[in-house]
Amino acid sequence: MQMLFKLFMSFALIGLGAYGGGLVTIPLIQYELVASRHWMEFDEMARILAIAQMTPGPIAINAATFTGFRLNGILGAMLATTAVVLPSILILITVVPWVEKFKDNRRASRIGQGVHLGVLSLIFYAVWSYGHAAIERWLDLVIAAGAFLFLIVFEGKVHPIIAILICGLIGMFVF
Amino acid sequence: MSPVMWHELVIKRRWIKDADFFSVISLATVVPGAIAVNIAYLLGRSLRGKSGSLVAVLGTILPSFFVILFIAFFLLPFFKYPKVAAFLHGCAIAVAGQLAFAGFIFGRKLLRRWQHFVVCAVGVITVGVFKLHPIWGLITASILGFWLCPENNL
Repeated sequence: MQMLFKLFMSFALIGLGAYGGGLVTIPLIQYELVASRHWMEFDEMARILAIAQMTPGPIAINAATFTGFRLNGILGAMLATTAVVLPSILILITVVPWVEKFKDNRRASRIGQGVHLGVLSLIFYAVWSYGHAAIERWLDLVIAAGAFLFLIVFEGKVHPIIAILICGLIGMFVF
Repeated sequence: MSPVMWHELVIKRRWIKDADFFSVISLATVVPGAIAVNIAYLLGRSLRGKSGSLVAVLGTILPSFFVILFIAFFLLPFFKYPKVAAFLHGCAIAVAGQLAFAGFIFGRKLLRRWQHFVVCAVGVITVGVFKLHPIWGLITASILGFWLCPENNL
């Protein structure tokens, strides 16, 4: 019971921080599941995140469903998925009636800019914290750098999933 | 996901106008949570009120929920196999590259003035050096960014 409550709180917090794309959830998930609660090893979390990235749908939700299932079966999956969307739904329910006044407001665009910078700083942090844990050997670093360069070169032309799949296939041969 | 939603709702079904769709997106981006879910809530609400928002949110979540359950249920036992583990390890490393790529793209777009660099650095230091919960990095940088940064057209 206590475990389910903690699972719910963790994913509610992850949902609260999940702005925009979803990559920003990676440092939050890593902190909650690995560093703070010790529910799983980094490697297992990284696999779940990789699958969450490759499956359709928002990463945060996919990761919540998978982690919830892994920790507490179907009930865990339902609980974690609900928890991850609940904060944003509650905020939207509260905020929407105000929005008519808020729309096209300069203050709203400044809030948006602040939040974008916050997301960017978490992504920079994640490059270090996730990268530090995921990259163990020179070979890992070469593959990660390859994925980075591939995405830069084909910016906007290929979906990031392509890079992830290619690296997976390379992994099958080299690891 | 939002281009798919745009195509489905604006072009195919003609449920909402282009301009309305984009004002919904801008709100969906400022509110926490997956953008797709926020968009679904807002559009569902504007089309059919409370029940519309509920149905739209469930419609966004349930497909991936079942896909993930399927994967977790039937494929989890295979993760132990060396080749599958090697594949997933390769994928996990690629995510590090993808994070760096996202940092590069957003950084190029957002870091225009020295204030932006300061705000970002404070966010990173809060989490990386003081080891606070990442959510504090987000909150600190957001507040500081709002307070410190002059108007900037993104």
